[in-house]
Amino acid sequence: MIGPPEGSPRVVLAGGDERAVAIAPAAVPLTPAESLRQNLFSSWWNGALTIGAGLLVGYLGQALLRWALVTADWDVVAANLRLFMIGRFPVAEAWRIWAATYLIAVLAGASWAASGARLRWTPSLIALRAIAAAATLAFLLFLLDGLRIWVLLVGLGAAVGLGVAIGRAGARRLVRPLLIGWAASFPVVIVLLVGFGGVPPQRWGGLVLNLLVAVVGIFASFPVGILLALGRRSALPAIQLASVGLIEFVRGAPLYIWLLFGEFVLPFMLPAGLDLPRIVRAMIVVTLFSSAYVAEIVRGGLQGVHHGQYEAGRALGLSTTRLMGLVVLPQALRNTIPALIGHFISLFKDTSLLAVIGFIDALRIARISPQGVFQGDLKQTLLFAALLFWIVAFSMSRWSQRLERRLGVGER
Amino acid sequence: MATRDGDAMIEVEGVEKWFGRFQALKGITTRVGRGEVVVVLGPSGSGKSTFIRCINRLERHDRGRIVVDGIELTDDIRDIEQVRSEIGMVFQSFNLFPHLTVLQNITLAPRNVRRTPKGEAEAKAIELLERVGIPEQALKYPAQPSGGQQQRVAIARALAMEPKIMLFDEPTSALDPEMIKEVLDVMAELARSGMTMIVVTHEIGFAKAAADRVLFFDEGQLVEESTPDRFFREPENERSKRFLSQILL
Repeated sequence: MIGPPEGSPRVVLAGGDERAVAIAPAAVPLTPAESLRQNLFSSWWNGALTIGAGLLVGYLGQALLRWALVTADWDVVAANLRLFMIGRFPVAEAWRIWAATYLIAVLAGASWAASGARLRWTPSLIALRAIAAAATLAFLLFLLDGLRIWVLLVGLGAAVGLGVAIGRAGARRLVRPLLIGWAASFPVVIVLLVGFGGVPPQRWGGLVLNLLVAVVGIFASFPVGILLALGRRSALPAIQLASVGLIEFVRGAPLYIWLLFGEFVLPFMLPAGLDLPRIVRAMIVVTLFSSAYVAEIVRGGLQGVHHGQYEAGRALGLSTTRLMGLVVLPQALRNTIPALIGHFISLFKDTSLLAVIGFIDALRIARISPQGVFQGDLKQTLLFAALLFWIVAFSMSRWSQRLERRLGVGER
Repeated sequence: MATRDGDAMIEVEGVEKWFGRFQALKGITTRVGRGEVVVVLGPSGSGKSTFIRCINRLERHDRGRIVVDGIELTDDIRDIEQVRSEIGMVFQSFNLFPHLTVLQNITLAPRNVRRTPKGEAEAKAIELLERVGIPEQALKYPAQPSGGQQQRVAIARALAMEPKIMLFDEPTSALDPEMIKEVLDVMAELARSGMTMIVVTHEIGFAKAAADRVLFFDEGQLVEESTPDRFFREPENERSKRFLSQILL
């Protein structure tokens, strides 16, 4: 999408070449001391705020660190790690999850590299990464037990590396194959998990369950939400009424209630003989719930598209479908990326509500594992569950920022 | 008259248009011949923009008949899309697609409506950009070029569909004064090339130089229809006279 279209005729850039370019005088770099004084101690009030905030953060930080590193006993987390990640997924079948993870890792690495992204190595970034890597390594050393898991993790790193190598080699030629790969990855993952004597969805659990339900919810509610948003603006009263009705109805109750509805009421509403598994009903509920919010976000984006854009498209003879698909939606969606990703992050976290209808998701594991064989403290397990959710949510947030930069949101 | 009838590109008969209780067009009847350049003048709110927007049905007329190149405009969406793909339109506010490059703006409709292959559409687009004098802008996004350049891109975009008719809705009204000429020059060249054009504008100089005919609108009526020579020298209608005395001060 970005940059010159492939194979476009070469265009000679003219004008401005001969003219000397005047450059604004470069800002004089500040010494660290000057920078400190300007930013943190510019007035006595500012200085007092800096010192006060510093003391508070320092005190809370050391208290948390001392608790986490000295007081807390993390054995309960280490002992239940597999439960946290995959719930009661049978150990003998865990290779299926690893295979799926490797597949996603290769795709992710290739997509990252094919988009032309490179790691930047400035001194501060190197320091930051070194700290993060050391902390992660220490954390894993503490948490992981046995050679097998280490081999598998190194393999995961290798899978990402393989993806990056493929992505670098193929570069932009890979854009289409990768899109197809991502589209195909979901059915492939499902077959990997369920197919050929695999594990039925009823036994999925842990973070994997949260992720799977969130991915289904996100990717299914995106198109449904767009259709609802378009429906809400439709000139046909029946479609408009149905869209508004569905959106307002679904948004009117908490997800908690809708999950209970899907679990206990929906089976009686389905035609006899159609016996949807519980997990599928939960996915339908999550998708519909999310669609209503996506619809309203997209509607906001549609309102931001100037009516002149519609007129220009119509004047060129574009049909309504093409007008929407080629002119209006690309602009509307680009403007809604921050809000959409925000909603999807919150949807991912909301999948922890699956516990209320009896699914064993990561948060549920945190609540029940201290009562198991390894007696332990709820504080540690809840904090660990929070960390798991944070890692995923933070990754989504970073990815959203990258996407915004690449699509030039707020610039053009 | 019979020969002119056969050569009419646009026929408008008794067209009326309401916006709620406000009547924007009151019984407009006229015809535009093949290759004719018609300039539409009139005070703001006189219905001149509404008139040309009815011709490609950005507005739906409530009464009367509009026939464009043999196709009558009705509620049939297929006819409307057919007619629209033969009419290029240039707007006061350019209305370029900001998410597409200049080149993609121009090739969008040929590729998606006409199914022109990509390479062919792009070669044609570059040709058109050369014609309007800005081939170097091809790979930029529309927000980067100046207003005058943007409007010339918009003209190239409209021409890419090889329209039989071009409509201009105040194409220079949003431009800085120093950029008006570059757009008018392109339009004058287009007029010389034999394009059928209807131009809503306040640029009297353009009307005098390029128009075959002037239509003067006031309060939704087609008040006077004349050659530019006659119209600017000796307008017949009282309202035309008042309008001209106001803008020619």
